[in-house]
Amino acid sequence: MVADSSIVEFLHSRAMSRIVVRDLTKVYGDLPVIDPLSLTIEPGSFVSIIGPSGCGKTTLMRIVAGLEPASSGMVQLDDATPAEARSRKRVAMVPQQPGLLPWRTVHANARLLLDVNTAANPPDATDPMALLEEVGLGDFLDAYPHELSGGMQQRVALVRALALHAPLLVMDEPFAALDEITRAEMRVILARLVEGRGATVLFITHSISEAVALSDRVLVSSTRPSRMMADIAVDLPRPRSADVEDDPRFVALCADVRHALQAGRA
Amino acid sequence: MNRRIIAPVIGIVVFLGLWELIVRATDVRPFILRAPSRIVSYLLDNAGDYARAAWVTGIHALGGLLIALVVALVVGSLMAASSFLEHATQPVLILLQVTPFVAYIASVVLWLGSGTPPVLFITGLVCMPAFAFATVDGMRGADPAARELLASVDASRWEVLWRLRLPSSLPSLFTAARYNVGLALIAAYLVEGGNFANEGLGNIGRRAAALNEGDALWAAVFAMALLGTLFLLLISVIQRMALHWHVSQRPPRPNWG
Repeated sequence: MVADSSIVEFLHSRAMSRIVVRDLTKVYGDLPVIDPLSLTIEPGSFVSIIGPSGCGKTTLMRIVAGLEPASSGMVQLDDATPAEARSRKRVAMVPQQPGLLPWRTVHANARLLLDVNTAANPPDATDPMALLEEVGLGDFLDAYPHELSGGMQQRVALVRALALHAPLLVMDEPFAALDEITRAEMRVILARLVEGRGATVLFITHSISEAVALSDRVLVSSTRPSRMMADIAVDLPRPRSADVEDDPRFVALCADVRHALQAGRA
Repeated sequence: MNRRIIAPVIGIVVFLGLWELIVRATDVRPFILRAPSRIVSYLLDNAGDYARAAWVTGIHALGGLLIALVVALVVGSLMAASSFLEHATQPVLILLQVTPFVAYIASVVLWLGSGTPPVLFITGLVCMPAFAFATVDGMRGADPAARELLASVDASRWEVLWRLRLPSSLPSLFTAARYNVGLALIAAYLVEGGNFANEGLGNIGRRAAALNEGDALWAAVFAMALLGTLFLLLISVIQRMALHWHVSQRPPRPNWG
């Protein structure tokens, strides 16, 4: 019993996860969605995947999160398959729509993922109260989702994922439905929350500047079937503020990403 | 007093006023149509009897509604979980909904005996389909993002049912409840009238009809109307408490940010 719980603690104490993808393919009927794909994502890194609509990014994310099987090849999250990682609650998702439950308060929504499959909760699971305060929702703990703006709702969704203390965070265009001003705000909040927490982040986006501003590495996907056209290391210093976008290096990196996207469309 | 209370009251007063006017102005005979004032005064003269009978009928209708709800939640959950079960169950539920239950009251009374059991059985039976369909609709309509999210942490079927699907079906269940109230009261009334060991309004109504006591019959009809109004008010109150988070329950209001 003692040994068991110390193993669990050990697994959770490494708050990061290495993702290894080898020869992964996905086919829907006759439609190839992902061409053989291999990549390794280092623990603790923030990696964005950017590509045109319908290129298979979301499919890749769902396979990594264990929500969908691959057609062939393998995905490994540290020592576990995605399905095992999922049942151990080691993958935290932020979907495109916040997916808040309208009958739960902000605080109860932030707790939602801790309230189900409780056997797999990390031993150091804490109440998300402090996180909610950190993202400026301290005065809205008892508010209901319909009383919040879109940006505030997505902040609750972020806290809900982070409260799991999962070593892998998977985000599927979490800011796509927000206006430009709110997006810029969310970018800064996300960067601050993730830096220093050490989780590995897989971030899917349509926005070039969002990808470059947040990531350590940007993978550029072609149109379907997905092939990685470029793997661009983002060597901008951290911590990053909103002003990082004025950096000439930022502008140059955005241009690299844009060119790779154009190449992938041709 | 706000408009939501005043408007319905005015509507009822105008309706009864016109009725009274027509009866007094034209020489319509009492056994065809009698004045509401006469019905109300009869009802007040026998208030004790009617209150006791209304209590019995109210309990019957409520019991039938609750039985229907519980059965429908189970049936609806199974239907939402399997499209085979859904397709297999649908025609039976529709049959229950569209066939005139008056036709089989006598058979059920013979089977279950007189008294409360056949009333609860038929009331529950006819109210069940609307609740079952509402359950299926509500559960199917659960937010896909929330479903995906719960799947991502391997929530059990039971947890998804309890934390997501059931609350998602509350709005449609309340809509079904409003529809079912009328049905439950009418079923309780008719089955009470169809067997002889009840003290409900249906019994008063049936006896009055058999003995040609028009005042007693119409007073039973009025008592039924009052009972129905009471039920709907009760449902509105519960709905406002249970669905305070739902779009249907709030006036447009500005949001933050």
